[in-house]
Amino acid sequence: MDPYEIEFIGENRIVSVIPNFSYDKIYLICGEFGPFRAGLPLNVPLWLAIMLKQKQKCRVVPPDWMDVEALENIKEEEKRSRFFTKMPNEHYMVEAKLILGVAAEDVPNAAEIKTIIKDIWDIRMSKLRTSMDALMKSGGSYGRLDHLTMMEINSVKPLLPSAMDELYRIKMMTKHRTPTANLNSSTISQSGSSQNI
Amino acid sequence: MESLSNVDVSDEEEEITADIVLKTLQTAWQNECLAPEILPHNNDMVECMLGQIQHMERNINKLPKTDIRASIHKMELSRIKFIICNYLRTRLNKIEKYCISILNDERQRMETGTNYLTVGEFKYAQEYLLNMETHLKNVVLDKMPGNMKTLEMNKMAVYPNLQTHVFLKANSTISGVVLEDLVGDQDEEIDLEEGSQHILQYKPIADLVKNGKVQLV
Repeated sequence: MDPYEIEFIGENRIVSVIPNFSYDKIYLICGEFGPFRAGLPLNVPLWLAIMLKQKQKCRVVPPDWMDVEALENIKEEEKRSRFFTKMPNEHYMVEAKLILGVAAEDVPNAAEIKTIIKDIWDIRMSKLRTSMDALMKSGGSYGRLDHLTMMEINSVKPLLPSAMDELYRIKMMTKHRTPTANLNSSTISQSGSSQNI
Repeated sequence: MESLSNVDVSDEEEEITADIVLKTLQTAWQNECLAPEILPHNNDMVECMLGQIQHMERNINKLPKTDIRASIHKMELSRIKFIICNYLRTRLNKIEKYCISILNDERQRMETGTNYLTVGEFKYAQEYLLNMETHLKNVVLDKMPGNMKTLEMNKMAVYPNLQTHVFLKANSTISGVVLEDLVGDQDEEIDLEEGSQHILQYKPIADLVKNGKVQLV
């Protein structure tokens, strides 16, 4: 899937905004939101928050986890643990990118937060690369990936599944070949046909 | 604008809300994008949502152009239309790519009444195949010597690779998924806990995707 499609899915998450206008409840297909009261926070989907912000009709309330101290703790935890730690949010990268991109002035210490989130992302990606390498070397055809977010999974999609497919193909070929190792000429065509499964 | 929360889907004979229809469609779209083979259609949901969209559009047109609600609703509708279009297009791409194998499987499935394609999609697949056949005949085969004129469609069939590896998330706990072990001939059995994520071959979990117990990610 395209990263923009992941972002699209992440945009359905609910965030809190403070509107600067008043309006009645609005009935959307994905649920009802409102009533909008100027100065009072309310929950809306992220895409709506971004849209209102772009029209300068609201301020975005940064999510709880978008806080220097909380993020530093997550970062330390991520460094300490051998495994992936649970992120505060299934789409933390999407949320961070959109909120910090459009509404940076609503987030205290935005620049610092951006750096820490990037650090966390980098630590996790390097962990992911190490574990992918280990998985491939052990010749595995199965792996468990708890706590990885969709965006992180998506970033290895062009590589990992096809590498595993390739490994599987090689295993199939060796399996077909071993019983008749001497009859090389006939096994080549055999393994050739097993490729097209 | 009146509330749109109650929609009746006649097939299931129970009231489900528009936002559940939307969630189902989004899941179907995600699965369809990520699964190697074509999945059972979700035509009721698509039709239901298209009805909702039309209804909404009529209401939006009644609103003054400057009303902020109009632009919010339009934005939401564009998002939903994107999901539906992308979903249907992904299916058509698969139908074109695996046309022959899908048609063969579908004919068997129709006998048991468990068809995966909608009536329209089935017709599209048949016509696509027919057009391809005619095209190949017109361009090359008709100009070949008599003994080379036959076209064996089944030999041209392209099959989806069901052994490919996919990422998934378990929606509920499932025990005893059997993973084939090629080297040691020792099949492995694993349990998928609710909410856990895995990468494994598509084939052993194909049915779990179709009955919604796991979700591809």
